[in-house]
Amino acid sequence: MRRRGDNRSRLLLVTLIVTSLFFITLDLRGVQVMSGLRTGAQTVLAPFQRVATSAFSPVGNFLSDVVHLGRTRAQLKKLQDQNSQLRSTLIAHKNQDVDVKSLKSILDLAGTAGYKIVNAKVISQGSATSFSQTVTIDAGANMHITRDMTVICGEGLVGVVKIVYPNSSLVMLASDPSFRIGVRVAGSQQIGILSGQGTDHAVLQLLNSQSSVKVGDALVALGSQANKPFVPGVPVGSVSSLSNSSGAISQIADVKYYAHLNSLAVVAVVVHAPVSDPRDALVPKPPVPTPIPTVTIFVTPTPSPSPTK
Amino acid sequence: MSAPIFLVIFLFQESVMNQLHIPFGGFSVFLIFTLSWCALSTPETGALTGFAAGFLLDVAPHSQGPIGQWTLVLIVIGYGIAYLRYGDDSFRSSPLSLVVIVSIGITVSLLLYIRLGALLGMDLGSTFQLFKTIIGNGLWSLAVTPFLLPVVSRLHANIFETREFA
Repeated sequence: MRRRGDNRSRLLLVTLIVTSLFFITLDLRGVQVMSGLRTGAQTVLAPFQRVATSAFSPVGNFLSDVVHLGRTRAQLKKLQDQNSQLRSTLIAHKNQDVDVKSLKSILDLAGTAGYKIVNAKVISQGSATSFSQTVTIDAGANMHITRDMTVICGEGLVGVVKIVYPNSSLVMLASDPSFRIGVRVAGSQQIGILSGQGTDHAVLQLLNSQSSVKVGDALVALGSQANKPFVPGVPVGSVSSLSNSSGAISQIADVKYYAHLNSLAVVAVVVHAPVSDPRDALVPKPPVPTPIPTVTIFVTPTPSPSPTK
Repeated sequence: MSAPIFLVIFLFQESVMNQLHIPFGGFSVFLIFTLSWCALSTPETGALTGFAAGFLLDVAPHSQGPIGQWTLVLIVIGYGIAYLRYGDDSFRSSPLSLVVIVSIGITVSLLLYIRLGALLGMDLGSTFQLFKTIIGNGLWSLAVTPFLLPVVSRLHANIFETREFA
């Protein structure tokens, strides 16, 4: 058995301890050499650490995730709940934004014409099995709505109230095949009858065989006697194409409705017509074409090098 | 001869092991390696090994204490472990005792380091966190040392030509 702690090892131990205490003293007194040692070590280690970070950080994250698995799962569940809640709030806000935009355009239209309106939300679309084009709105007799009142949206004519219930009403859309409305061509004052076709297009037949329309002409409602079922001046649509039927007595044209009748959310029922006919005041302004900028590039030809012999 | 091995282990500890977020304080491969090496050596070699390893730990960039703090701790612990191992034949012949003594040595080293740090005015943080780290380190070392011991023993035997455990 080896003899415990001979003098040589004790001397070595004491020397090493004194050396380490000397190091501590030097470092605490702020000797530059000591701080330089750490800087040098960091300089040497940095490239290795950089390589190791790129290689092992996924493993490190994995270990950390394993340790905090329970906490992470609870947090994940909480975040998922928050996410779905925020998602539904966002959808609600988006819907409200669309409704607000629609209401604003309706109010603009009604304000310009002087219509007194009652706003309503579309609560039901017509059944897919029935061939009629109708919607149900959430305003009825309780909002002083009666049969044969004009229904509009921000873009123009939507239809006419057909049946009134205490709290709701059934509206026949302008696209319904049985829908007929007297229209006037904005500007030229020619009149005709517009018939629904079951699509977002309608057919216009002019009453005067001598008159004619052109593509892009805007049509507004002519107005009915006592303003029922149609108030005057409501924009209806624009001529999209002309039909050249040789057998027709007067000109027939295809008309595209201004209103998007398949995606109605907010509409308004005109409960009082204006005192005076707004005429063409409600016809939407045609879009102003934006000028395309032309760019001129000047190229100076460089002299080609002459072949050397 | 053993200096390059320690340098490689130190590099591995600083570059790789420090990337892994091991729970409950983790463990130091470098400390386990150093104290296992000391346990297989004579007290003089143990003290010298502790000095060199402690100095490396002191110059490591993340080290908070003054240079010399780890050196002092590891000189004492390295010498102590080697002295204990050489003084008792039953320790020398049992690998299990080596594992236990290395783990206790690591725990005592950390406690000594903290105690010395407190004396030198280091900011040490909450006591609970400190003890959690120290106990975690000790337990981790107890679990990891059996796997590292054959490697340390083989390298030690190759250098000193006195293989004890393989």
